[in-house]
Amino acid sequence: MNVLAYILYLAITYIITFRVGLLFYRNGKVYILHLFQGNEKLSNAVNRLLLVGYYLLNLGYAAVMISTWETVHNIEEVLVSVVSMTGWIMLTLATIHFLNMTVIYLFSIQRKYFNHHKN
Amino acid sequence: MKTTLNFTAYLIYLPVVIALTWYVAHTLFRNSKVFMLDIFHGKTDMAFSTNSLFKTGFYLLNLGFGLWIMRIAVEILDSRSMLEILSTKIGGFSIYLGFMLFFNLYLFFRGRRISKQKSKAVETIEKPPVNTEIK
Repeated sequence: MNVLAYILYLAITYIITFRVGLLFYRNGKVYILHLFQGNEKLSNAVNRLLLVGYYLLNLGYAAVMISTWETVHNIEEVLVSVVSMTGWIMLTLATIHFLNMTVIYLFSIQRKYFNHHKN
Repeated sequence: MKTTLNFTAYLIYLPVVIALTWYVAHTLFRNSKVFMLDIFHGKTDMAFSTNSLFKTGFYLLNLGFGLWIMRIAVEILDSRSMLEILSTKIGGFSIYLGFMLFFNLYLFFRGRRISKQKSKAVETIEKPPVNTEIK
């Protein structure tokens, strides 16, 4: 039964990670472009590197979490463990996401401060 | 084998939580576009991408929390206790969702106020009163 749970869990987690990463990649472009003041080449490179880093971090974390799995005996326990683990992964994703947004916000404040004092 | 109603409870709980989260997120972030356009002074691309970033975060946070607390520790033996436990769980989750909704609204109003203050400050810096420049 554990193998079934792992397969389900990995499939769901990988789909969520992939979709969310794509969403972040598309919507983060504007921010990074703004941060690098319209330098398209540099911001594309940074964006792609960030995406790869995100995938590595998340898929790795999801795979490592399997080692803490308890033994499951029937379909009910499979459902419970898969759902609660997926929920946990989503919560960590949300935490990382909001931290990232805070960092970008702080960066943009700093940049405004610099620009203001340069002139 | 002793039959428990836990599995049925999970099968009811999951769709309700997912539908509730979807409905709240859908309503909140359809209406937040107005706020975002105000905050970013009508810069459409920035406003819409911020909106969708917040939306993704909202989904991740609330669905993740809803799924994480699904486990029912006690064995449910009859339909009455199943209904009671389910209503406690779903009611608690929807109160939590309501708080999240109001927290998001607070953030939007705050962002709008700050951005308005900033634009006022910029206006006064760019156009100083005439008298001070003559001195």
